[in-house]
Amino acid sequence: MEIELIEIRDFLSAHHPFDQLPEQALNLMPEKLQIRYFRRDATIPDAGSIDDYLYLVRSGAVEIHGLQDELLARLGEGDLFGYRASHMEGHERFTGTALEDSLIYQLPAADVDHFCREHPQFSYFFEPAGGDRLRDAISHTGEDGNSQLGLMATQIGDMINRVPITMPPFATIQQTASVMADERVSSILITEADETLTGIVTDRDLRRRVVAKGLNTNLPISEIMTADPYTLDASDYAFDAMLQMARTNIHHLPILRNGKIAGMLTATDFAQRHTTSAVYLVSSIYKQDEVAGLASISAKLPQLLLNLAAADATANSIGHVITAVVDSITTRLLQLAEEQFGSPPVPYAWVAAGSQARSEQTAKSDQDNCLVMDDSYDPELHGDYFKDLSQFVCDGLNACGYVYCPGEMMATTDKWRQPLKNWKHYFDGWVDQPEPKALMLTCVFFDLRCIAGEKSLFNDLREYLLNKTRGNQIFLAFMAGNALSHKPPLGFFRNFVLISGGEHDHTFDLKHTGIVPIVDLARVYALAAGSQAINTQDRLKEVASGGEVSHGGAHDLRDALEFVSSLRIKHQAKQIRAGIPPDNYMSPDDLSHFERSHLKDAFSVVRTMQNVLSQRYLR
Amino acid sequence: MSIWKHLFNLEERRNWWTRKMPDGPLRDFYDTPFPARDLDWRQVDYLALDFETTGLEAKQDQILSVGYATIKGDRMLLSSATHILTRPTMNIPEASAVVHGILDDEAAEARHLEEVMPIMLNALKGKALLAHHAAIEYEFLNNACKNLYGFPFLCPVVDTLALEVRQFRMRDQAIRSGDLRLANARTRYGLPRYPAHNALTDALAAGELFLAQAAYRRTRKPLKLKDLIVVS
Repeated sequence: MEIELIEIRDFLSAHHPFDQLPEQALNLMPEKLQIRYFRRDATIPDAGSIDDYLYLVRSGAVEIHGLQDELLARLGEGDLFGYRASHMEGHERFTGTALEDSLIYQLPAADVDHFCREHPQFSYFFEPAGGDRLRDAISHTGEDGNSQLGLMATQIGDMINRVPITMPPFATIQQTASVMADERVSSILITEADETLTGIVTDRDLRRRVVAKGLNTNLPISEIMTADPYTLDASDYAFDAMLQMARTNIHHLPILRNGKIAGMLTATDFAQRHTTSAVYLVSSIYKQDEVAGLASISAKLPQLLLNLAAADATANSIGHVITAVVDSITTRLLQLAEEQFGSPPVPYAWVAAGSQARSEQTAKSDQDNCLVMDDSYDPELHGDYFKDLSQFVCDGLNACGYVYCPGEMMATTDKWRQPLKNWKHYFDGWVDQPEPKALMLTCVFFDLRCIAGEKSLFNDLREYLLNKTRGNQIFLAFMAGNALSHKPPLGFFRNFVLISGGEHDHTFDLKHTGIVPIVDLARVYALAAGSQAINTQDRLKEVASGGEVSHGGAHDLRDALEFVSSLRIKHQAKQIRAGIPPDNYMSPDDLSHFERSHLKDAFSVVRTMQNVLSQRYLR
Repeated sequence: MSIWKHLFNLEERRNWWTRKMPDGPLRDFYDTPFPARDLDWRQVDYLALDFETTGLEAKQDQILSVGYATIKGDRMLLSSATHILTRPTMNIPEASAVVHGILDDEAAEARHLEEVMPIMLNALKGKALLAHHAAIEYEFLNNACKNLYGFPFLCPVVDTLALEVRQFRMRDQAIRSGDLRLANARTRYGLPRYPAHNALTDALAAGELFLAQAAYRRTRKPLKLKDLIVVS
């Protein structure tokens, strides 16, 4: 290379994907280039096929239009189009038009092929969007940085390995103790012949309930077992198990898979792994007797977010941890409320909606919640109790920084504090006679998770709701329409965010144009499939095997969500460090070439999946 | 010679000299016809050329470095980009060293002009010479040819500065001082800013300027080479 072409090489090396090339290869690149000049409004290319060359904008600006003349992208200095880059906008065929007088470097197709062949890190850039390329981007961030954080993403099923030791309820205490000694276990499960779990016995039970009391060891073990113990499902996260143990002060958790016993998780399974600061935070929540104490704990959330971000936790894990804190605060507030107002007169379930339900909170969010009471609820008799209870909890949450929902989607609102039959009635209305405007507001109620109280009430409602939505084309068409109301940007152009129609935004709204479109898509898939999953990653994982969306499409969406979410966490962590209240707005200036390029991939994935959804329901 | 160019066109004069000239680099150069004046500008090959010199007087000053790249029609090929330092027989005056940054020590490592001239003439074969304020390059080449081979240099010349003057005249626009400088002309076409006074960078800069000027001239009837060259 002539030494004087260094300026051209330096220009290349400042732009993705040329920055991926080793210096030697980069030095070879300038002499392969041809320089062209296009006047404003000129078509690029002016002869031959767009696939003859890869075009690099050196100065000026170029617009890319699809076959229907729709705007696909606006490209500025350092952006690429043409050979191998054409499919990157999700379209095989398009034309370029100079938006300004433009100096263009063109690289012949054969040379592009050569560089791609020789340099895989360069060729990644030209993979179809959302394929290996996005996956590759996430591999920088997509794994939890250390083993403690791994707990958040590890499902319990992957942690239990030995076949659980069980005894029938009619076995004697002595027989049971003998088996425990032989098997060297500190706990044993008591099961019926059909493997349903009826109880659990631990070393501590034998000590306290048998030896200390001088009980006859020929009595059946069912006399001293803990009946109906807490259980978790094999698909739950290890982190949830830790929280459950911390919350209830138990050391053994039976794990079920499809309702059958799958194994036992013990506190020692976590012994080698240090408890994370989040677990300490949660266990201290249950020691607080006043709202002020809870507020002082929730004030530590930003620091927790920083720690998790610094430890390279995945965005999905961070969402789970941060949400676990608000779950615990809610549960503790309910306990305090029950202490103050007495036991509930009828069973109830405290249900979170929106991002808390999906376990996707980051920096503090609004509260969205509702209350489902048993159908024996009588407003005359029980109305005041639940009103007071809701007021106490919602005020408490507000004091902890989870500010009142501006849309009043809270248990304090009479409409959202109702017995089960009324809730079913609501869903009848929303599902059977959907109205686009109402759906937009009530969307939040299609993401529900029981936080505390009588879980069966909630399960009943969820079953009812999913039975109504599963395969319900008319309702799903409305939800699909709603899911298409938030569109990802087309991309970036200089220091702007380019939105469809060619308008410019000065900031990139990570939430509404990045994350919400994916959350909305996953919700439609989940409701269509009748999936019980609430978390968006879980929903996408679950529906991928159900045929509601292609396996690859679901995978791409999960990658896109993780990438955008991790970017949001990075952005918020930066704001927290700078003492600025965290928000969802990023300036394109703050995005690296790498991030811009992969964000464009994420947008492209979402756009593709939105088009598929629109084809399916809105034709 | 000024009278000849009014009586005979460039091609006729090339033929005239070819008949008289002994074998050698200049003869080789003249053996290839010049690009025809009536060709569409996109069918012509150009050599964007720039010299850094010890001064502006071709008869006294010397070439210090040569930079060039081929333009095939409407595209400049960087594969042809070349930069050569030439060794002057005089000390480099301080006033020019300040501009081009070439020092005596560096120049002492460089090649003699008689080695470089054949390379340049070979690169120019069948092409139009393209430069910003081409009279300088033309005169230095002419002087070198006369000194080394005893015959004058002939070549169709495209001068981006002259094209720029025409552009101003066509728009009936007054030319202010500095307007015609390479960097300022480039700015008018939205071309990026390059560091000046390296022969190859300046040659590329002039080449890009030419592509822009030609793109701007492409309006009513097809643009031909004769519309672009300066009479020489």
